[in-house]
Amino acid sequence: MSPDSQQDFALAFLSILFEGVPFILLGTLISGFIDIYLPAGTMDRFLPRNKYLAIFTAGLMGAVFPVCECAVVPVIRRLVKKGLPVSCGLTYMLAAPIVNPITALSTWKAFQGQGAAMMTSSRLLLGFLIAVAVGIIVSKLSLASVLKPKLVESLEKDQDAKLHHHPEHDEHDHSCCGHDHEHGHHDHHEPAADNRLVAALRSAMKDFVDVAVYFSIGVTITALFNTGIAPGASWLDSLAHQQVAAPAALMALAFVLSLCSTSDAFIAATLDKFSWGAKLAFLTFGPMMDVKLLFLYQTVLRKRFIFLLAIGLFFAIGGISIFWQHLLFQAK
Amino acid sequence: MNPTARRILFSLAILCWSAVLLYFYSSGRINQYLVADFRPIAFAGGLGLAVLGLFNLLTAGQKADCGHDHCDEEDPHGHENGDMHPVTAFLLMMVPVVLSVAWTKDEYSAAALGRKGLYDAPAEMNAPFLSASIPALTLEEVQKSHRKTPDGFLEFSLMELFFSSGDREMQTLLDGLKVETEGRWMDEKVRNPHGTRKRLYRLFITCCAADSRAIPIVLEFGKTPPDFQENDWVRVSGTMRFPLEEGLIQPVLVVERAMAAEPPYEESFTRKKGF
Repeated sequence: MSPDSQQDFALAFLSILFEGVPFILLGTLISGFIDIYLPAGTMDRFLPRNKYLAIFTAGLMGAVFPVCECAVVPVIRRLVKKGLPVSCGLTYMLAAPIVNPITALSTWKAFQGQGAAMMTSSRLLLGFLIAVAVGIIVSKLSLASVLKPKLVESLEKDQDAKLHHHPEHDEHDHSCCGHDHEHGHHDHHEPAADNRLVAALRSAMKDFVDVAVYFSIGVTITALFNTGIAPGASWLDSLAHQQVAAPAALMALAFVLSLCSTSDAFIAATLDKFSWGAKLAFLTFGPMMDVKLLFLYQTVLRKRFIFLLAIGLFFAIGGISIFWQHLLFQAK
Repeated sequence: MNPTARRILFSLAILCWSAVLLYFYSSGRINQYLVADFRPIAFAGGLGLAVLGLFNLLTAGQKADCGHDHCDEEDPHGHENGDMHPVTAFLLMMVPVVLSVAWTKDEYSAAALGRKGLYDAPAEMNAPFLSASIPALTLEEVQKSHRKTPDGFLEFSLMELFFSSGDREMQTLLDGLKVETEGRWMDEKVRNPHGTRKRLYRLFITCCAADSRAIPIVLEFGKTPPDFQENDWVRVSGTMRFPLEEGLIQPVLVVERAMAAEPPYEESFTRKKGF
């Protein structure tokens, strides 16, 4: 890299880093405290009995329990094992990284001067609708077609064990979804308060490092493209004004960059050659499907389901973003 | 790696990021990276990272109980198990930051500026939000609202001169007017067959330097231009013209006087509240 390229890369890299880091810290601190202080059954109690209302509510739960996409998968695995309906779990998993106050705040800040209010509301709405749609589709499928065989077996064993040991449990069960009502009996005990603070800040540190590593990689790649150093930067620019190719390219970029939803808006806002709709696609697709999530999803979901989910999200988000861009800017 | 060593390693990485943020903020260098309203947020982020890093460093050897039982060996819900090996994570966090701090000169090279619109004509700029910052003016208002130097030049910001070429009314007002402005010095690489031209620019930042755009005008000297270094701050005085060149109206300042200048406190134009 020439000295000129080095100075260009450094300026772009540090500026995006300075802009995004405070929001990552805020997100991971909240996530760390939720991880340690929130009893496992708390979220379960918020869900209504009606299946569709439960999915709808799960799509909004990120507003109350804000978790980024890295943290949400282990949480979902635990909640599903504790009896949370898979459809609600997946809806929360896809929506929570987008439909949460930290992501809304960071998107709004990042897009100041670029239609911040419209971008923030469009992102939250699209993220919510897509997550709810996936939840409804999943509610029609069998567990075996969605979850890993081991997890299905484990759920079935748990169910058998509960019926064997607590036959009276059926009387308290939500018939629609099998919520677990033994909140915390098996997996929670009370430690000393100062110990929990240490644990919460350790969890926050771990979350911060997990996110910071991917953010660092993402910012590096973005800075290389932003300053024209990366091979293919001109090719990417040439796609920027194409109606279909632009959102497709940015969704592919989001997939590769694996950014955290709390900070990805700061990257998207710098892609100034790209259309508004393409940025919306980037901001909605990335938190739902990327390289890092591909590995995390495999701890819960079947590979075939993940593949179909990725294809479905790609076309649905791309299509809606193009339509939304057309609608907004044609109206103007 | 044992948990204590991992915590120490991660704490050090976080403290390093914190130090970078706090240093750039306290030295004022952050002004070249972020717009004003993001700077205190970055400072708060630096302080928060310092607290998080120090706390975890000082308690790295302490036993802590999260209140959850982790009896399931397959359970990925370990509160401290990361996605990758701790040393890999540490290096991925540290290497780009350390290199960037070592490499940065707090400004872009000419090549990057070319990519950020340095050689674009104003009409080619795809940034409608910028023009919103230019109020509608009459000649009387122009004279009232711009300070006059002792030798009769009206002081204009570079942004006003740049956008005036996209506004017929402003062109008429400014064409032939004696103005003074300041910006950074750069070679003129287009439409400069006799080598008598230079370019003066400032950056416009929406949020951070990565999203910045160059706001340039052309300087015409009519002879060999003075010998300033690339990116030097220069104050120039002369007569504003708007010639049509290769089908595009260009904002050209026919320079009478050019002198080195101190950089202003806010080197870049930044987004203002309300637009």
